[in-house]
Amino acid sequence: MADFGTLCLLVALAASGWAVIASYNGWRAASGELVLSAERAVYAASGLVALAVACLESCILTDRFELEYVASYSNRALPLPYKLAALWAGQSGSILFWLFILCCYAAGITFLNRRRNRPLMPIVVTTLAVVMTFFLVLVNFMARPFVRLAFTPVDGNGMNPQLQNPFMAIHPPCLYLGYVGLTVPFAFAIAALATGSLGDAWFRSTRRWTIFSWFFLGTGVLLGGWWAYVELGWGGYWAWDPVENASLIPWLTCTAFLHSVMIEERKKMLRVWNLSLVIMSFLLAILGTFITRSGVISSVHSFTKSEIGPVFAGFLGLSVVVSIGLLLYRLPLLRSVHRLDSFVSRESSFLFNNLLLVGAAFAVLWGTLFPILSEAVRGVKITVGPPFFNAVMVPIAFGLVTLAGICPVIAWRRASPRRLLDKLQVPLWALAGGAAALLAAGIRDPYAVVSFALAVFVIAATVMEFYWGTRSRHRVTGQSHAAAFLSLVDRNKRRYGGFTVHLGFMLIVIGITGSSAFKQEATASLLRGESFSVGGYSMRFEDVVREDTPNHEFMGARVTVSRDGRQAGTLVPGQNFYKTGQDPSTEVDIRYSLRDDLYLILTGFNPRDGRATFKAYLNPLINWIWIGGGVLILGAWFAMLPDLRERRRESEARLLEAQSRAA
Amino acid sequence: MTVCLAPGGAAAAELTPQQQVEGQLMCYCGCAGLTVRVCTCGTADGLRDEIRTRLAAGETPDQVVAAYVARHGEKIRSAPTKRGFDLLAWVTPFAALLLAGSALVLLVRRWGRAGAVAAARESSDAPGGPPPPTTEERRLLDRVRREIEETR
Repeated sequence: MADFGTLCLLVALAASGWAVIASYNGWRAASGELVLSAERAVYAASGLVALAVACLESCILTDRFELEYVASYSNRALPLPYKLAALWAGQSGSILFWLFILCCYAAGITFLNRRRNRPLMPIVVTTLAVVMTFFLVLVNFMARPFVRLAFTPVDGNGMNPQLQNPFMAIHPPCLYLGYVGLTVPFAFAIAALATGSLGDAWFRSTRRWTIFSWFFLGTGVLLGGWWAYVELGWGGYWAWDPVENASLIPWLTCTAFLHSVMIEERKKMLRVWNLSLVIMSFLLAILGTFITRSGVISSVHSFTKSEIGPVFAGFLGLSVVVSIGLLLYRLPLLRSVHRLDSFVSRESSFLFNNLLLVGAAFAVLWGTLFPILSEAVRGVKITVGPPFFNAVMVPIAFGLVTLAGICPVIAWRRASPRRLLDKLQVPLWALAGGAAALLAAGIRDPYAVVSFALAVFVIAATVMEFYWGTRSRHRVTGQSHAAAFLSLVDRNKRRYGGFTVHLGFMLIVIGITGSSAFKQEATASLLRGESFSVGGYSMRFEDVVREDTPNHEFMGARVTVSRDGRQAGTLVPGQNFYKTGQDPSTEVDIRYSLRDDLYLILTGFNPRDGRATFKAYLNPLINWIWIGGGVLILGAWFAMLPDLRERRRESEARLLEAQSRAA
Repeated sequence: MTVCLAPGGAAAAELTPQQQVEGQLMCYCGCAGLTVRVCTCGTADGLRDEIRTRLAAGETPDQVVAAYVARHGEKIRSAPTKRGFDLLAWVTPFAALLLAGSALVLLVRRWGRAGAVAAARESSDAPGGPPPPTTEERRLLDRVRREIEETR
């Protein structure tokens, strides 16, 4: 089985290499046959990689411990879902998984465009195949998943306990779908640049795939935060770890693109900027993988380290040079007339939104890479941790939140100041009322007051947009308010999907502010029957609980919780002791509520005197982060649904393009 | 929302010297990325005890942090200092934003002027065009524009 997997990867490398050569030369020589051959090679390589993945999964499921990968990341007692997830638990497996997703995209794109976008496709295929070839070189020669051990161990080492969590089973696939998905818009951008077909075709495809990747990248980031919260046991969800940052940075540049592309659609300007954002997002995704996989910056996620760093850096360098070279080469074609009708317009507000989003991406990247710079210049390795990122990112985030309230209200082209003030009236009252209510409630933390008040402002502005739209549709069509609302959002999926994303984002802002500004903590060392408290909660240590599973032994403490004198359930925080001898993992227990979470950790137990040490966090409003995430995902999903009006606009644009070509 | 918030509001307190020091130091237990304040490992427990003892003995928070830096190197600080080369870490993001922001303001102004010139040219290109709208027409046009904007 393992030999078959190795063989599949080798043949896939040959097929993918052929796809690069045939596609590029097919384009140069205008040979349809060569291009077709290249496309078939992409299908072949993708099928072979899928077979290799099936081989590795099969080896993991059948406990083939003679393979180093299986022995390192699985064991007999590992539950089935985690055995399946073991595919991405280690270095070579996760690179193979990354490659597999890339192959799915490449085969899908090739198939979907077998009749569309034909002038672009040879270079799209070349670009996708180059990236595939790079990853195939990695899995064939550097991070090989099918390496055999000199002996066959009786059992494997098992999976890192922290990865044995349902979130960890879905967080990486989500994140990878996002990261790898960015290759598709990048390939279209490169194709548009190389062929000089810089009309509308490239960015229609690019925009759709960027939303798709943005959606999965965002979902992956959120799930990662949730995983950290329930699994890592420190009471938080985001530690500004380099690997977390690496997933946030391309998400920010994608968000910028999704806004600025609207200006290109309407005004045919900013083409260089939009192309740069697409290219930047892809390069940042590769940089993110490089950071994750090379161990260049030590972090909690760098479970695995190897010598692939320089190869990654080389590939990244090559991609930068080719992209910038092509962009400079095509500059004369990309020049467009830049005109704005007014300083106060949706267009200019989007430009400032782009400034802040790219500025935020730069700030995170700068902080993440600064330790390397400091080491290179001063020879001293320093840490750039949460205090830095919080201090730098909070002001930028305030700016972004403010713009999220103002941008949707400002009209395209030219906004009349009087009308703008009219539309901002309710949100501004909400802002003032919100701030006054917070101050009256005794909240004095300036950051919290500003943050909550701004969130209320944006929510009010967004809800009012739904209201204005519904009211005017009701007046124009005479439909009932409910029917007018439904047809309004149905006819403008992108617009109202986008607004829903803004609402979700604001709920996240509320959750982050509440859980960071008003977090409370308490530590206590208790004997059975003793209590301690945090916030309004009182916790009483009742007894010790033990549980034995084939995979691990759980040792926990049963704690009854009461709030304001009333029973509020039982929590059982503890620790898992793995039979494979790995370090024990902390298993926190959480009492969830919309108002706050009680997050209880058993940090130690002394069997001699029966004393248990607990740490408890009160995390106010934290669940609004996950609820906001859900709203954000719903909104993004809605915005991605096919839009009849947009389709009509696109077919009109295509017709115009064809007509102008014919003329 | 205010109702949800009320209980938390009064509880938010200033950081104690102990928490300040814990927040300025990274835990070196291997679970990199967490400050001593939030890390739950045994190493962090030990560090917290030691910090408590030092503060109780009369050392200032800065002295305690300096002692750890002397023992473990700069890497133990959770954020760069605001001196010398490390100051660059703090200044660069804002300087970049400021520079890019100023450039953007200039660009937007230029593009706005270009838009105004183009609009003026378009109107002078059509001298025999339709007469300027009457007040009534302007009012109607305004309404149409507003409704288009709202339904868009």
